[in-house]
Amino acid sequence: MNTHQLPVYDKASSLRADGSRNFVHPADVHGRFDRRRKIAFTFLIALLALLPWLEIGGHPSVFLDFEHRSFYLFGATFNAQDAWLVFFLLSGVGFSLIVATALWGRVWCGYACPQTVFLEGLFRPLERLIEGPRNERMRRNAGPTTWDKLWRKGIKHALFLVLAFAVAHIIISYFVSLPRLYRMVLHSPSAHAEAFVWAAALTGLLYLDFFWFREQLCLIICPYGRLQSVLTDRNTLVIGYDAGRGEPRGKATSSGEKRGDCVDCNRCVVVCPTGIDIRNGLQIDCVGCARCIDACDEVMLKLDRPVGLVRYDSQLGLEGQRATFMRPRVYFYGALGLLGVIVMSFALSTSRPFEANLLRLRDAPPFTVDDGRVRNAFEVHLVNKRGSSTVFELHGDGDPRLHFTVSMPRIELSSLQDRRVAVFIDFARGSVHDGEHAHVEVWQDGARVTLLDTPLLGPK
Amino acid sequence: MADIKRTDAISGDVIHEYDGIEECDNELPNWWLGILYGTMIFAAGYWLAFQQLHVEPTAAEELAAYDAKQRAAQGTVNDEDVLLVAKQPASVVAGKQVFDATCSACHGEKGEGKIGPNLTDSVWLHGGGPVQIFSTIRDGVPAKGMPTWGPVLGAASVKNVAAYVLSIRNTNVPGKAPQGEPWKGL
Repeated sequence: MNTHQLPVYDKASSLRADGSRNFVHPADVHGRFDRRRKIAFTFLIALLALLPWLEIGGHPSVFLDFEHRSFYLFGATFNAQDAWLVFFLLSGVGFSLIVATALWGRVWCGYACPQTVFLEGLFRPLERLIEGPRNERMRRNAGPTTWDKLWRKGIKHALFLVLAFAVAHIIISYFVSLPRLYRMVLHSPSAHAEAFVWAAALTGLLYLDFFWFREQLCLIICPYGRLQSVLTDRNTLVIGYDAGRGEPRGKATSSGEKRGDCVDCNRCVVVCPTGIDIRNGLQIDCVGCARCIDACDEVMLKLDRPVGLVRYDSQLGLEGQRATFMRPRVYFYGALGLLGVIVMSFALSTSRPFEANLLRLRDAPPFTVDDGRVRNAFEVHLVNKRGSSTVFELHGDGDPRLHFTVSMPRIELSSLQDRRVAVFIDFARGSVHDGEHAHVEVWQDGARVTLLDTPLLGPK
Repeated sequence: MADIKRTDAISGDVIHEYDGIEECDNELPNWWLGILYGTMIFAAGYWLAFQQLHVEPTAAEELAAYDAKQRAAQGTVNDEDVLLVAKQPASVVAGKQVFDATCSACHGEKGEGKIGPNLTDSVWLHGGGPVQIFSTIRDGVPAKGMPTWGPVLGAASVKNVAAYVLSIRNTNVPGKAPQGEPWKGL
């Protein structure tokens, strides 16, 4: 039996053998990818905070008013009946992400995921500001409880709670209008218990996530992270270590033994927010943050060696082979994504600023006969799906054999308001053939928008 | 490969291997186990509190109680109930608003009758007393094209509309010819 030891990367570096947390304290790093990430974080946090304030067509640019089943997206108005569009929206976004993953690996995780953006853009810098750099943090944590430790921890947690509270309210402002949210913040919690519980729960969750849970979310909970191993292949751009150039690692010795470019300074390991060693190859813990690239480049520049010992490259590229950019999987994922985009565009282009449905009147018989005349009773259900109020008009299509009675010919409806209007269609027996249909015209703001069609029932 | 047994440097346990895919036998994260045991404790507490001790009603009991309350609210209505509503001017005004929006299309703006019968005369098809008017609005006369308004408007609004109709009864606005029987009741 062949028994040999595995390297430690068979274990998540942020967890110890007994299942307890090996808390990661990343060291500071500066470099070109760090600058790019800071720009991305600033832009994304500003965008998230500003979208509810920007108004398009009298409504916030993104406002998901679940309470009133009204949804405003960049000037378009939707109600609960449009929920099927969400499938194409989500699958479109999902497949775009999958294509991006096949091409560029975990760029989403490194630059755009809210977990990364808030943790690396807000919470971790604040922790660094209060508790100092990696070594100071670790020394203080391991040391005895002192006044210095107490006040720093106290202020950090207080500020984390304030930040979590702010982020929670930014998120809630996508679901509750800003003026109402402001009023609720000012009033006592008992006046809006449900909203208060949401805000408190969200604040608590965000606080717990960002002060304690951190990389465990990416590692164990995030389904996208878990999918990496099937979405990427050896052609995918990942962050990797050029073992051919770096090995054998170590500092130059006087004996003149041949060494690779890696001086084994451990900088790439201490800056890693998930605590891995990138030199062990691609690992599922890697969130593609590129901090190890910045760290290694810094060392290589000091040693006057070319940068890029740790770099963005495909696994094939790191082995000195040529990688293919467009592969069958990219075409396949792209085709599926395109299908969703086409269906979505088609659905959006045919979506109308109203809903009009002709239904037989509830609880009424399909037809009644009176004095040789046959009556069919209907109701027209109208919904105004514009962002502003609009006027509908209903009347028959002018068929001389039919007599249309519209209980309310002119209907003014505010945004997303709906109304049922009774419509009766009478005809003399013998004037209509079997299988003939009647038509009701629907006009909106002076233009005919649709023709409702129904078969006529009763003795002909 | 199957005969090669490898050990994990940390926990020292045997690794499962299939088709080159290897599995280490590490401890589960403690926070994960905490959630698992936490849900078990919660389930036991929930079962004890709701199913055994009845600290609070269960969802099914709450629903049954709500349904019973709804049925009671819609139950038998007598003349006094409707007349009580009709005595309150605010109810009549509220009823007129609903009437203008919902009923005037068929019964005319003043209740003088269009497709639907004249409501301002003393002759009624389905009875002209408080309860009769209330019931006709609530249940409708589907065969004649009068919709069932109870589920649409709700019991309170139906009472308000009945109160308004009572207020225009016998005002004899010129309109559709009288239909039905003279009403001699309340």
